[in-house]
Amino acid sequence: MITNFNFRVVWEYMPLFMQGLRNTFLISLVSLILALAVGIIACGCRLSRWKLLRGLAIAYIESIRSTPLLVQIYFFYFGLPTLGLRVPELETGIIALMLNSGAYIAEIVRAGITSVSSGQIEAGISSGLSYFQRMRFIILPQALGVTVPPLLGQAIVLVKDSALLSLISVMELTRCGQELTSERFMPAEGFLTVAVLYLCIYYCLKPLAGWAQKKLIFREAY
Amino acid sequence: MRTRHLVAVLMALVLMVGFSTAATAGTLTDIVKRGELRVAVQSGAAPMAFVDKNGKHTGAMVAFVEDMAKRMGVKLKILDFDWDGLIPALLSGKADMLAADMTPTLKRALKITFVDPWYYDQLCIFTKSDAPYKTLADIDKKDVTVGVLLGSTGETMAKKILKNAKIKSYKGGGRMVINALLAGHVDAGVNDDMAVLTALPDYPANSVRLLDKRLGSKAPLSFAVRHESINLWQWANLYFKTVRLDGTYDRIIHYWVESTEWAKDHK
Amino acid sequence: MIAEYASRLIQIIPFFLKGLLMTVVVSGISLVLSTALGFILGILRTGRSRLVSRSIGLYVDVMRGTPFVVQIFIVFFILPEWGLQLDALPAAILALTAMTSAFICEVVAGGIRAVPKGQWEAAAASGLNKFQQLKLVILPQAMRTILPPLVGQYVLMIKDSSVVSVIGVTELTRVGWQTVVRIPEGLMVFTLVGVLYFVICYPLIRLSNSLEQRLSQESVRL
Repeated sequence: MITNFNFRVVWEYMPLFMQGLRNTFLISLVSLILALAVGIIACGCRLSRWKLLRGLAIAYIESIRSTPLLVQIYFFYFGLPTLGLRVPELETGIIALMLNSGAYIAEIVRAGITSVSSGQIEAGISSGLSYFQRMRFIILPQALGVTVPPLLGQAIVLVKDSALLSLISVMELTRCGQELTSERFMPAEGFLTVAVLYLCIYYCLKPLAGWAQKKLIFREAY
Repeated sequence: MRTRHLVAVLMALVLMVGFSTAATAGTLTDIVKRGELRVAVQSGAAPMAFVDKNGKHTGAMVAFVEDMAKRMGVKLKILDFDWDGLIPALLSGKADMLAADMTPTLKRALKITFVDPWYYDQLCIFTKSDAPYKTLADIDKKDVTVGVLLGSTGETMAKKILKNAKIKSYKGGGRMVINALLAGHVDAGVNDDMAVLTALPDYPANSVRLLDKRLGSKAPLSFAVRHESINLWQWANLYFKTVRLDGTYDRIIHYWVESTEWAKDHK
Repeated sequence: MIAEYASRLIQIIPFFLKGLLMTVVVSGISLVLSTALGFILGILRTGRSRLVSRSIGLYVDVMRGTPFVVQIFIVFFILPEWGLQLDALPAAILALTAMTSAFICEVVAGGIRAVPKGQWEAAAASGLNKFQQLKLVILPQAMRTILPPLVGQYVLMIKDSSVVSVIGVTELTRVGWQTVVRIPEGLMVFTLVGVLYFVICYPLIRLSNSLEQRLSQESVRL
């Protein structure tokens, strides 16, 4: 089979693959930023003193974590038109990705914040620092070391999750593989190329996560 | 102990290779020997092939192959795929035959062998009933998005003649394109007129309209087999000739394609 | 109107339950196979041979760096070209097992590495061979670190099983997709699908959390 691999066709479709790669990158980036916002807000609600906010946040986070991403994507893709809303596929996909990653990020941030030992917080209180000052100078810097590595892990997961958007006709990398396969009937050339390209993204992001882990461990003040 | 393991691995490899070698005795012979005919159909494409309200695979294509299997004296196994997965399924040997409303294009014929046509239809452009588009020129504009089915002749034709419009391909079946049209994701769609017309009863009346002029010329629709399945190909051709003469063909086509009688029993 | 809605719902529920059963079956079989494979790989990963460890590491990277949907397409459409012809269900189980075993391998390897070196030395000094050391001393202690994330992997597997719907396995998500193409009630269909996934995933998540709490308490006693 290796001898039959048609590199000429892969080269012919390279522009399409590059476009798909670029779209995957952009979709993941936009979804990640939006998910960070959603996650931080959800985490804030989760840790809030008001039962209603806490309840809503818990309901949101637990429903996302207990249902598959594909089902969430289909839910928005097939469900929104039922409500009369006309959202283009790309935006629908980004909404699903944003809400999905947002829940996981909320938990990551929560773990980071609660990891700061209470002794630190008490020391902050007894030093006369306000809530915001405590957050800014004591809790957040220490929480960062625990939070950033899993966040980068979630970024890697997000890139892989974006592949599911191909099933609702978003032109990202996996969809390019499907197009090659359906136009030329060559699944190997289509999907193996796509797999290799995803691995390239992975091997670019992985060292970043490792570097962040090393760099930020210092910040865990004892 | 290590030699035993080595022998086991070698045996497994030999068996794997043995099973994967293409059936040189002839697919039809294999089917009869196996006692089972495996057919790839499109999923979710009423009335051609779909899962009805009782959870059974049914449809015009299924009706034909059920009859085929009965006359062959074998069991039938239906495998359903997205439209763009049909040909790979046939080529990879998952199915012995592909039963769909597929147009025999020369490009496809490089990879698979088509049975003589069982029907004819033509590509059409369809849009929402209240949309302003009337002619091809109205659609072929930069701000118009046209939906097509991934891997279909509609996709190929649309990409060829609509130079200005944006083309969006949908994976799955023709209904995905109609859904996209009604959801506002696309302004118009291109697909086989029969596929569209037979799907319309499922949608609110008068929501979708076909443009007057069809695209291209009347095109055949055929089943397909692999290149090496010569005896199966001849059998299938003879089958269609036979059923046209004995009334089975008329019965199936009338019930499933030309009327909506099937909806009462199966929707 | 509501009566029609409710009657539709009641009519489709049996199919969804059948789909749920298929989901449980697919996940269950893959669970058993990937746990076995994952443990073997994890143990080998922490072994002495660097070649074996690196090869398994490469396998894990490939499984973790490519989207599952691409892996499924490769198993279903490309493996036949290399001689392995599989129907949809076995292909789905193979792909799920291959991917999850990579994750379980890392969990097991992490658990084994977390056992203090002294335990290995003490076990060796007691006259146990490598196999007995592992079986009687190291693994039981490693299980404390392995068990909670292992249950977490099972939840992930049930969610990933939704992706096998793309090759036609009639599990829960596929039933939802087939239904929504037939009757355009997107919201109802996928809310039902989501609820059914929630019913089997949420208890498992709670189990994982409670295991984590209970097992970490035990180690404090130590």
